[in-house]
Amino acid sequence: MEDYKYLFKVVLIGNAGVGKTCLVRRFTQGLFPPGQGATIGVDFMIKTVEVDGDKVKLQIWDTAGQERFRCITQSYYRSANALILVYDITCQPTFDCLPNWIKEIDTYASSKVLTYLVGNKSDRLLHREIPAEIGEHFAKQHSMRYLETSAKEAENVDRLFTEIAVELTKQAKENFLRPRQDSTSGKVGMPNGGSSPVGGLSCCKLN
Amino acid sequence: MTGCCGCCTALKPRYKRLVDSIFPDNPEDGLVKDNMQKLVYYGTSKPEKLDRIGQYLEQRLSRDVTRSRTGYVSISMEALDQLLLACHAHSNLFVESFLKMVHKTLESPEPQLQILASQSFVKFANIEEDTPSYHRSYDFFVSKFSSMCHSSAEPETTRIRIRVAGLHGLQGIVKKTVSDDLQVNIWDPVHMNKIIPSLLYSLQGCNMDNDPESPKEDESPGVVAEMVLRDLVCRATFGNITSVLKPVLQHLDYHKLWVPNKFAVKIFRILMYSVQDQYGHMVVHHLMSHLDAHNKDEPRVKAGIVDVVSETVVIAAGGSVGPSVLEVFNTLLRHLKSSVSVQTSDRQRVLDEKNFQEAVINTIGEFANNLPDYQKIEIMMFVMGKVPLLDLEEDVSSGDRKDTLLQTMLLKTMLKVATKYRTVLMINAFPPAFLDPLLRMSLAYDAGIRLIVQEILHTLLDRHDNSGKLKFVSENSDTITWIPKDIQALNLTVEKASQQDIFFIKKNGPQFYSCIYENMLQENNKVDNFEALYCTLALLSIELGGEDILVDLVRLAMGIQNISVSSDLPVTHTCAIHAIVAAYLNLIGQLSAIPNMCTHVSEIIDARKNKAPHLLPDFAFNRSNTEQSYPTSTNVKDELLFDQAVINEALTSRGYDTSTLGTPFTISRLSQSRLGRMDSWFAETSSGSWLQDEVDMAHSTSDIHSITLSIDSSSSSQTPLMGQRGQAPEDITFESLKKIITEDDVERKRSQEMKQKAILEKFQTAPFEQIVAKIDAESMVFQNKLSEILTTISDENKDNAPQHQTTAVFDMQFPDLYVY
Ligand SMILES: Nc1nc2c(ncn2[C@@H]2O[C@H](COP(=O)(O)OP(=O)(O)OP(=O)(O)O)[C@@H](O)[C@H]2O)c(=O)[nH]1
Ligand SMILES: [Mg+2]
Repeated sequence: MEDYKYLFKVVLIGNAGVGKTCLVRRFTQGLFPPGQGATIGVDFMIKTVEVDGDKVKLQIWDTAGQERFRCITQSYYRSANALILVYDITCQPTFDCLPNWIKEIDTYASSKVLTYLVGNKSDRLLHREIPAEIGEHFAKQHSMRYLETSAKEAENVDRLFTEIAVELTKQAKENFLRPRQDSTSGKVGMPNGGSSPVGGLSCCKLN
Repeated sequence: MTGCCGCCTALKPRYKRLVDSIFPDNPEDGLVKDNMQKLVYYGTSKPEKLDRIGQYLEQRLSRDVTRSRTGYVSISMEALDQLLLACHAHSNLFVESFLKMVHKTLESPEPQLQILASQSFVKFANIEEDTPSYHRSYDFFVSKFSSMCHSSAEPETTRIRIRVAGLHGLQGIVKKTVSDDLQVNIWDPVHMNKIIPSLLYSLQGCNMDNDPESPKEDESPGVVAEMVLRDLVCRATFGNITSVLKPVLQHLDYHKLWVPNKFAVKIFRILMYSVQDQYGHMVVHHLMSHLDAHNKDEPRVKAGIVDVVSETVVIAAGGSVGPSVLEVFNTLLRHLKSSVSVQTSDRQRVLDEKNFQEAVINTIGEFANNLPDYQKIEIMMFVMGKVPLLDLEEDVSSGDRKDTLLQTMLLKTMLKVATKYRTVLMINAFPPAFLDPLLRMSLAYDAGIRLIVQEILHTLLDRHDNSGKLKFVSENSDTITWIPKDIQALNLTVEKASQQDIFFIKKNGPQFYSCIYENMLQENNKVDNFEALYCTLALLSIELGGEDILVDLVRLAMGIQNISVSSDLPVTHTCAIHAIVAAYLNLIGQLSAIPNMCTHVSEIIDARKNKAPHLLPDFAFNRSNTEQSYPTSTNVKDELLFDQAVINEALTSRGYDTSTLGTPFTISRLSQSRLGRMDSWFAETSSGSWLQDEVDMAHSTSDIHSITLSIDSSSSSQTPLMGQRGQAPEDITFESLKKIITEDDVERKRSQEMKQKAILEKFQTAPFEQIVAKIDAESMVFQNKLSEILTTISDENKDNAPQHQTTAVFDMQFPDLYVY
């Protein structure tokens, strides 16, 4: 009795203050929260999107950027189907830290994980410190997809998550033809066949 | 089913109608209890329908969650709980539905629903399933509950409720899975790396000290987290304790909780008190590895870790610290060494390193405290083996200051261990392999090091808590005269030495005496050194004194007195030496109750009081003296010196054999090398009659000692002396073994017969100590024989092995031979 066909886990990582939580809330709640406080540990959100008529549920784990929570946040990488590595285009240090994040990903995430590099706060054009090409180049070097977003202006946010949903669904369909073992959950990435849909639930409207 | 059935409801299957009927029109009214009972009855009587019921409820709930109809969701959850309790045995599928609903509800952003779902999960966890589904995955639950433990929801009351709900959820998962091997392996790092940091974070949030504030204390995250942690750790086994400890250590790193380390200590206390005894050493082991991993880290952090080790070790006492004792010591010593070798001009850093070194030493002390006494001695020997052997006469400026520092640290470590040791028999406290290097170290160039060695001697010698009373400095030094007319004023506790102790001191006395003697000669002695030497002298007399060694002690005292006459030590030193001799003769005179000696001693002391107070402790050990306080001439008139002839007569009149008393200790610092020093040390003793029964004393003793010396010189300075033992087997050939065995056989047969006869008698009549001493003596006879054989063998092998080396090794092992 499921209300979705595919379930994917998406984990957001990146330095503190780059806007991970804002991105998630923009996507799941359609708002830009004023005075968003720093995330403690790991936050959880859910949103269902439609891909080619199939309901795809995204389980989104928003991790704290603060170093002190690294121990708990790292433990969420492994089961991720997609990682969103976020930096702040107006803050060079958050870009400079990317190699460290890549190391973390290599260490803790599954090797097949789909990774997006996201330069957030694209609305603050006057304060930009990292040109788009630099970000894009870095992404390419590390076989990541690249997008610049603005949680504030809702720029590219839906696109980011939708692309992820589409790509993962595509992969899941391929994998379904060639089934592989997924140790973390029997269900992730597998079509959820045989259950009748429950009415009126294209997404979780919150509040 | 009563009531009207509309056509709509009539079309629905019965189970759906039953389910619908439990929901009131107004969710505020809560579950319709009567109808719920009917549903439960229906479920239990028609278990085949349970799956459908579950699915239908799931559907309703899912819709209500999506629409945020919290009231109805609560009712669904309550219904599910009741059905689960009543019917779980009948349907695995129903349980799956149930879990899906909990899952679904947990996804809701509504705090109330999350809490509700957690509570339902806990109820489920408390149920013993007959046939749980073994492919069930708890991944989501672990992730979600862990996330809830970090909730930052507002207001605070809600936040706390969510966190507590998360903790209970985690506890539920643990309970559900931990005791069943076929279940999900909850110990997998994938889970533990989420669970442990969540528990620790919750513990961290709670105030550790001021509890009384929060009203409902037993439901605060801190309290619940601690309970869950204990619950978890006590179930951990050898294979999975690691997956608990790793995230603990990591968490403490990331949250920078080593400095200050109060929280870390708290956590490790919890761990040690909950972990099964036999795994306690694993906790220690992991802490040590962690220390290694932090080798390059700030000393403050390392000190924090080491400090936690010491707290942990205290608790491990009950169980075993396990096979890793030496490994732990080794690691700690390695860190000590590397800390000592840090070179920096940063003062804060120097201070930090110092604190770290203190922490290491303390930890070793705590560790040793938990070991049985014989192991403490082993540990001290082990530490001794790590002490770099410097040329004793080496000037500090040319020598390596780092090494001196390391020596100091290691000796401090030994002192720490030694203070935890409770001496019963001297022979156990000072096995030769320990005593020899220790006494050697007592002649180190550095005055500070010499002082520590004396302190080690004090704590090991002093069985009756006397050392405090034997220091010249004291809080109330005004009221105490250090040379009381009646030594009872000192309040010393004196007990007669046992037979074994007398054996011990007869054998090892010469070493002690000559060490003390040589120590007196050191030009860089400080007041503390002299004071410590006096204490050692006094302790030897109190603990081991008695008629047997009185003459030796007097001879030593006279020898020391002569130093000041014949050496060119500064006046401060000679005054201190005279003062020591005065106090010491007064002490042993009264201890052994020899009236004429006492009279003489007190006469001289009185004379000094009048004419030369600087030769008495009250002056000589007065730390506020200045150069001006001292007389300009070091000459001391004979009338102020203790007269050997008088004392000799006093002793003779009491029946003592004073033939050796005339042989003076001589100053023999001819050779500056260590070897030379040893030479003089032993030459000293060999001229006396320590070895009463030897016919040709001088020869035989100098022989053995020169042999001992050669081993000393031939071994590399890095090799600890006790390492020598290991070489012995190399010299044993097949032939020799055969010999030993046959000899051994004959010997044994003979002694066996004798023993059997004697044993009965002995044990019936003799006091315990006598028995032990007797047995010792007998085993010496055997050793005697054995070493004789071995010596012969080595003689035969002369061509193959360097002779002195071989002999020396055996002598090392059987030194008793030459004394008795
Ligand atoms: N101008 C602008 N500001 C943004 C944007 N996204 C986030 N911010 C601001 O950046 C700050 C941090 O945003 P968060 O979403 O809390 O950052 P985070 O990455 O979740 O931080 P941590 O939870 O500490 O890891 C907030 O003050 C936001 O208002 C954006 O797209 N544009
Ligand atoms: Mg955040």
